[in-house]
Amino acid sequence: MLEARSLTKRYGSHLALDNLNLIIKPGEIFALLGQNGAGKTTTINLFLGFIEPTSGSALINGIAVEEHPQEIKKHLAYIPETVTLYPNLTGLENLQYFSSLAGFNYSKQQLSDLLAHAGLQSQSFDQKLAGYSKGMRQKVGIAIAVAKKAKVLLLDEPTSGLDPKASNEFSEIIRSLAAEGTAILMATHDIFRAREVATSIGIMRQGNLVSTISAQDISANELEQLYLQTV
Amino acid sequence: MFKLAFKNFLSSSGVKIGIAFLIITGLVSLVVGNQFLAKQAENVEATAAYQKAHISKNVQYHPDELGLLLYYVKFSLVNQTEPINSLSIGQRDVNPSIQSVTIRGLEGQKYDADLQNPSNLLLGNIDFSFVLIYLFPLFIIAFTYNIISEERESGTWKIAAVQSSNLFGLILKLFTVRFLVVVFTLFLTLFLAVIFLKIPLNTRFWLFGGVSFLYILFWFALSFWVASMSKSSSYNAVTLLSAWILLIIVLPAMVNSYLVSAYPVPEAMETTVKQRNGYHEKWDMDKKATIDKFYNHYPQFKTFGYPKEDFNWLWYYAMQQMGDDEAASESKALREKLEMRNRASTRIASFIPSVHMQIQLNEIAGSGLSNQLRFMDETGRFHEQLRLQFYPAIFKESPASSQQWEKFEIENFSDNSMTSATSAALPLVVAILLFSVLGWVRFRTMVS
Amino acid sequence: MPPQLLIARNFRSNALKNRAVYLLILFIGILITYAVITSWSGFVKQNESTAHHQTETRHDWLDNPDKHPHRMAHYGNFAFRPKAPLSIFDSGMESFFGNTIFLEAHKQNSVNFSEAGFSTGMLRFGEISVAMVLQILLPLLLFFIGFTSIAAERENGTLKIILTQGISWKQLILGKIIGLAQIAMGVFVPVMLVTFVLWFFLQDGHITSDETVRLLLVFLSYGIYLLLFCVIAVLVSAASKTSKSALISLIGLWLMLTIVLPRASQALGSYLYPAPVKVTFLANIEKDVLKEGDSHNPDDIHYKALKDSLLTAYGVDSTSQLPFNYSGFVMAEGEKISARIYNSHFDNLLRVYDAQNSFLKATAFLDPFVAIKNLSMSLAGTDYRTYTDFQKQAEAYRYAMAQKMNELQIKYISNKKPGPDEKPVVIDQKHWEEVPEFKYVQPMVNTVFEHETTSFFALLFWIGLLYFMIEILSKELKVN
Repeated sequence: MLEARSLTKRYGSHLALDNLNLIIKPGEIFALLGQNGAGKTTTINLFLGFIEPTSGSALINGIAVEEHPQEIKKHLAYIPETVTLYPNLTGLENLQYFSSLAGFNYSKQQLSDLLAHAGLQSQSFDQKLAGYSKGMRQKVGIAIAVAKKAKVLLLDEPTSGLDPKASNEFSEIIRSLAAEGTAILMATHDIFRAREVATSIGIMRQGNLVSTISAQDISANELEQLYLQTV
Repeated sequence: MFKLAFKNFLSSSGVKIGIAFLIITGLVSLVVGNQFLAKQAENVEATAAYQKAHISKNVQYHPDELGLLLYYVKFSLVNQTEPINSLSIGQRDVNPSIQSVTIRGLEGQKYDADLQNPSNLLLGNIDFSFVLIYLFPLFIIAFTYNIISEERESGTWKIAAVQSSNLFGLILKLFTVRFLVVVFTLFLTLFLAVIFLKIPLNTRFWLFGGVSFLYILFWFALSFWVASMSKSSSYNAVTLLSAWILLIIVLPAMVNSYLVSAYPVPEAMETTVKQRNGYHEKWDMDKKATIDKFYNHYPQFKTFGYPKEDFNWLWYYAMQQMGDDEAASESKALREKLEMRNRASTRIASFIPSVHMQIQLNEIAGSGLSNQLRFMDETGRFHEQLRLQFYPAIFKESPASSQQWEKFEIENFSDNSMTSATSAALPLVVAILLFSVLGWVRFRTMVS
Repeated sequence: MPPQLLIARNFRSNALKNRAVYLLILFIGILITYAVITSWSGFVKQNESTAHHQTETRHDWLDNPDKHPHRMAHYGNFAFRPKAPLSIFDSGMESFFGNTIFLEAHKQNSVNFSEAGFSTGMLRFGEISVAMVLQILLPLLLFFIGFTSIAAERENGTLKIILTQGISWKQLILGKIIGLAQIAMGVFVPVMLVTFVLWFFLQDGHITSDETVRLLLVFLSYGIYLLLFCVIAVLVSAASKTSKSALISLIGLWLMLTIVLPRASQALGSYLYPAPVKVTFLANIEKDVLKEGDSHNPDDIHYKALKDSLLTAYGVDSTSQLPFNYSGFVMAEGEKISARIYNSHFDNLLRVYDAQNSFLKATAFLDPFVAIKNLSMSLAGTDYRTYTDFQKQAEAYRYAMAQKMNELQIKYISNKKPGPDEKPVVIDQKHWEEVPEFKYVQPMVNTVFEHETTSFFALLFWIGLLYFMIEILSKELKVN
């Protein structure tokens, strides 16, 4: 479970995030929309503990991020906007390395299952990442996140730069993770994808969460209208 | 367009700091040079004063025995320090610039070392040649390593490439701007040197400035070639720095140790040992044999015949002469070995621009090994001339008053030999042409 | 496996996948081989020639026929400076030291024939030795490998994933340091093995505990030195936004540490504490000696008093009636005075040099390169201390030799000058043996601790400083 309580981040006089209050329960997918600089990435970084809040707090499964920055890492997984990983290593090796950093020593079979589960074709497992497409790398990123068995997942612009097919596959996997009880927060520019995959959608403007809508209650066109009016 | 390029280049604070650093270290080198000149002048002055006092004191002590007097009296020869010497101190801090000799055996005196703090020698001077040879290239690298790669990495290159009809001209312009700024810094420093160190504007100076200019051009040519390979900024930085390390640290050190092992000088120790034995064993030998050998060397003194006394100054100086005569072949071999070393090092250096620069700057400034060798030769002539001047008076047993002592002031050796401009410039010109042509060809194929 | 080691292994294997790294390591290997071969042959040649000349001149000395002892005092002896075994590792200032000194009565000659005196301008670029490669080139290689360590992870975004996986900054930094240090040791350990083997064979199996302590300290201090550079590389990389800026910072730092700072601080020292020129130095000694007593001056107060007291003590009225050789006695007195004055002036000169060097020594706290350079030369016995120690031992030997000859003259030479037709006075050549052969004894390793305390403390200071920096950066570093 993710929770923001009056979460505020200030850089000098610039208010990057203003008094955010938010709860994302297990099984929920919350999509944050907004222009560049609206505060989406700031929010994610606050949950990750990469930056400290000016006031308020971010909590993961009820634990304050700021107070226990190492502890909360056990509970969350993260996929950055561009998953570069190590081009010299194969998909399998990348997964193995990052899982072992998190303390999981999987067998080769388990690692292969994780990659397959993330949608990667088995012939790519032993190829170097340098030859992967963006979508394939994204899948390795997902496998890394899943391998942690974390109940919270943070995604920063996960579908940017993916072709429609890869983007669609990605949505499938995210939804299945939510179905298994993961609380997911994703920042995105992709209005269509957000409506399709998320359970709730928030629109941000200048550090404020200006509106929150349930994805079921709105069509893609309506969402786009709302977005353009809001930002 | 050119004005804009200048403004663009000079607006970077890194560039300003770099230029300021070069000018400041340049000024430091001039202060170091000035201190060097002052020390040399002090040395000459102290030697002149000492020689005067020393002669008059000894004349007073030994008025009747010229042979004994000249046993003690030292005469000094100064290897003149030209102001331009302070720009490239070279070997002048290792080797003494003043030789003080008595008319006794020369071989036992002429290698006497100067007083030095080896830490100073080990770390080297911050003279102008250091700033030029070591530091200028570093800033040339820093100013040029990312000329094109940076723009390519940030995407502006594509825009420039689309905008400009003459891409190669644009590349050239970027290099020219940096070159002009660096050359301006060089000439500014040299200009300040001329004023501050009172360097005469003679051929030496112009040659010095000319090869310095070529050296700068060489590094630009090298960087131009590296840039033409269109690799990343980091790759260029590493490549150029590796070239710097190779040229400034690794190759000179390897060549030096090669020279030391290829031209060892065991003759040095042998000369001294021979000289000592050549002289000392005569004390226990037949006097006549020694004097005969002496007369063989100097037939003009035969008229002095064979003294009868147990001790006589003719015999004494004949013994001293034997020390030199018997060490002569070793001494000559040593001289030749050093000449060979010098030649070999000049030859090898023409393939290593950095070393070539150091050797040529030392040559031009009169602070290299060849200057030292000529000074040693001159010391030999100076010593010989003193001997020939005093021997007759000593052998005649004239009193000290027979000599005009006030005439014996320190003498100066001014080294007029000059390296040819061609041999100084040619290796650099060849290297410059090589890299510019290589770079030019690559750029041509790239932009067309 | 603890995460630090996982990170270390990942970093190491990633770095070693780069072909350029192998090329650089190969290049360093070739350089070291070249350095070892040339310094080995230089060592063997020089020590052979030293030993040869030492024996030869000893024979010359002993072969002198019966003669007046003062002639022998002027015949004199040579002292040849042997190379220390560890000079094959660090040639230090060797090339700037003279190799031969002629030792005779009344006169302190200079140590002549330094390699530098016979060198072209090339020597001034520096010399190649194992120590030089370890001090200058290996740190640069570590910078070339280490600049990407964390900055590249930041650029790739992998840094965020690593931290999300529960790795702390400290674990990450330590892991990278360990990985880089493993590469460093991969070069360092073989080099040390080679050094050990050479060192072992050069001493023909006569290994002293002193030399062993020196070698062990060399291993230890270089190990620490290289580790410091691993830490610096990783910390600069961690603090840089991009790997390019990390590379540029590290290159700049390397140039400052190895080229600019050492020269600048030494130049400052010698600028602020000018040393006397030779002619002034010698003139001052001469002046002081004359002040104390001029044996050539018949009216000199000092020698007149000496003469008068002798005449009174022996109850005679001229020196020729004394039961011993008077001029030998005067020379012994003169030697005593001039040697004492020379030594005090020489010590003063050394103090000026020490003052000049003090800046460089203190720079060790700004620059670990200076610390290791001074320490290494001192341990290898190629520093200025060892050299002045040689000069002092040679002077002590010279003094003992001159005084021995004076003693023989006082004892055995008649006080009466022989007439023109009499045989000159001589003593038996068997006495020449009474002067022992000159043998240079290298100072013990504890002198290194005395003279290089600054360098030791500087290394300790650097360990502390970098440890502190790791702690601080682990708390302060940001992901972006």
